Amino acid sequence: MKLFQVVLKDISSRKKRLFYAALGVAVGTMTIIGILTVADAGQQRIYDQLDKYGPNILVTPAITSLDMQMGNMNLGTVAVGDNYIEESKLPAIKKTGNDILAPLNAHSSSDLVTLAPKLYVNTEINSTKIVAVGIDSRYEMSVKLWWEVSRGSYIFNPHDALVGSMVSELLGINPGDAINLNGTGFTVSGILASTGSDDDYRVFVPLGTLQQAFDKEGLISSVDVRGCCTTCPIEEVADGINSAVPGIRAVAIKQVAASEMGMMEKVSSTMLSLSGITLAVGLFGVANTMLASVNERLKDIGIMRAVGASRRQIVKIFTYEALAIGILGGLLGYVAGNLLAFALGPFIFEGIEIAFIPVYLPLSVGIATLISVIATGYPAFRATKFKVADSFRSL
Amino acid sequence: MLEVKNVSKYYGQGHTRVTALDNISLALHDGEYVAIMGPSGSGKSTLVNIIGGLDSLSSGEVHLDGKRIDNRDENSLVDLRRGEIAYIFQQYHLLPSLTAIENVMLPLTFAGTRADQSTALKMLEEVGLEKRGHHRPAQLSGGEQQRVAIARALVGKPRLILADEPTGNMDRKTGAQIMALFDLLNKEGHTIITVTHDPAVAELARRLIILEDGKITEDCQTAAACS
Repeated sequence: MKLFQVVLKDISSRKKRLFYAALGVAVGTMTIIGILTVADAGQQRIYDQLDKYGPNILVTPAITSLDMQMGNMNLGTVAVGDNYIEESKLPAIKKTGNDILAPLNAHSSSDLVTLAPKLYVNTEINSTKIVAVGIDSRYEMSVKLWWEVSRGSYIFNPHDALVGSMVSELLGINPGDAINLNGTGFTVSGILASTGSDDDYRVFVPLGTLQQAFDKEGLISSVDVRGCCTTCPIEEVADGINSAVPGIRAVAIKQVAASEMGMMEKVSSTMLSLSGITLAVGLFGVANTMLASVNERLKDIGIMRAVGASRRQIVKIFTYEALAIGILGGLLGYVAGNLLAFALGPFIFEGIEIAFIPVYLPLSVGIATLISVIATGYPAFRATKFKVADSFRSL
Repeated sequence: MLEVKNVSKYYGQGHTRVTALDNISLALHDGEYVAIMGPSGSGKSTLVNIIGGLDSLSSGEVHLDGKRIDNRDENSLVDLRRGEIAYIFQQYHLLPSLTAIENVMLPLTFAGTRADQSTALKMLEEVGLEKRGHHRPAQLSGGEQQRVAIARALVGKPRLILADEPTGNMDRKTGAQIMALFDLLNKEGHTIITVTHDPAVAELARRLIILEDGKITEDCQTAAACS
């Protein structure tokens, strides 16, 4: 028979007390797990929003505008550099992005950055000036997650055109209509739902077809770059692209939602501090229960010491008991914390989806066990300080 | 083997001080069977507790095999309890959550020696309780519980057995069985000190010490020799 078996036997005869002590710890871990789970779901929601804000990096030609001055006389500005990026530079941009992000995404072997190249040209439809945008239809949707085709369908053929909502409205263009851009015919495949951006005033056609129509083969105006991760070091990627690929300027776009994330983190840390207080209360609860347990079992402790238990073994017995309380409390706290998150999460962050996070289970058990062991320290120490004869005499 | 020198024990301080033992001295040899008698509050249990290191003394010394044991720290007292000295209490003091076998195995568990069921069963066999090994204390009679406590005391093969009114909670017949067991243990070589109120128990001992108000008033080689 081992010492832990003695403890197990003892625990099994006092299940209720063990359960109540575990409940004390569970209340603390429940709040922590609940808050973490809600915070996690809230963060996920913000990440989803981040995705909708658009690309992480905008790559444009490296044009420098120089102010021309003679004395006090301003002679205007002169643009130095090309107005277009050569399409042949896209692989180098992509490789640079992948190389920087690869160490951060050990489990992903696919492309880590998505490039959405564009060519902007000013043209006319039925004598009305519009901007036609050549896009790579495979990737454009990946960087513009908010796009929705309100009528018709997306671009699938080289001569399909997707028309912005305002262009459609102003020019009376509908799916199935034929339009002509610089002598090249297109069929309107669909109308974009209103985005509230410049895209509403544009016509989107396949990049290659537009390049041919305007004699701009191999040229693009800009590239939207999106890293596949929401917490990518975007500035680092932009700097890397600037260093590796000449003739372009890559700019990291600071997301508005980043500040929202900062707020989220502040709220989470405040809530965690509050749950820390709850945990401290739980600690005192367990300490109280264990002290009561020591007093209740003074006779048993005396018996054990009279038949050869050392002080260390008595402490061990209480520590084993604390471990059992901690493990049970941690499990209960995890389950209750998730239930709390499911119940309250939607009231805290509208539209969030709460999910079980398995990694919080060992965290919950770990915290509960630590608290339980700490709370047991003093009562266990006290249990060893009685004289054996006093243990019996006090009865 | 055992020497108690000028031992006194007080409870409380000042005018509330109570003297439990008053300058007690006695010596025991290996294999002796001593009964300590006296009225309630005469200090019998206190003396046995001090001899066994379960309680501290106020003054004096206790020596075992020539070595002083009353000033030992808790760790070395644990060593004494794991081999030299065993206790048998009036209230049996078995752990209620453990079966008879497990209670008997307890000293071996704490001593870190191999604690298997066969050793415990052998001890229970010696006290005639092998068939009740898997019962918990609540399922045993007083006499049976005391026999389990005796088996638990014997499992560590102690030289000195200290018994505090071992038959105090038993009827005469059961008490006689327990005392017969003590007699057997003494014949096997165990040194026994038993505290008792019962003259019949004292008669079985080879030596009788009478305590009154914390002092030894008589120390006789037989019960009949004492007044």
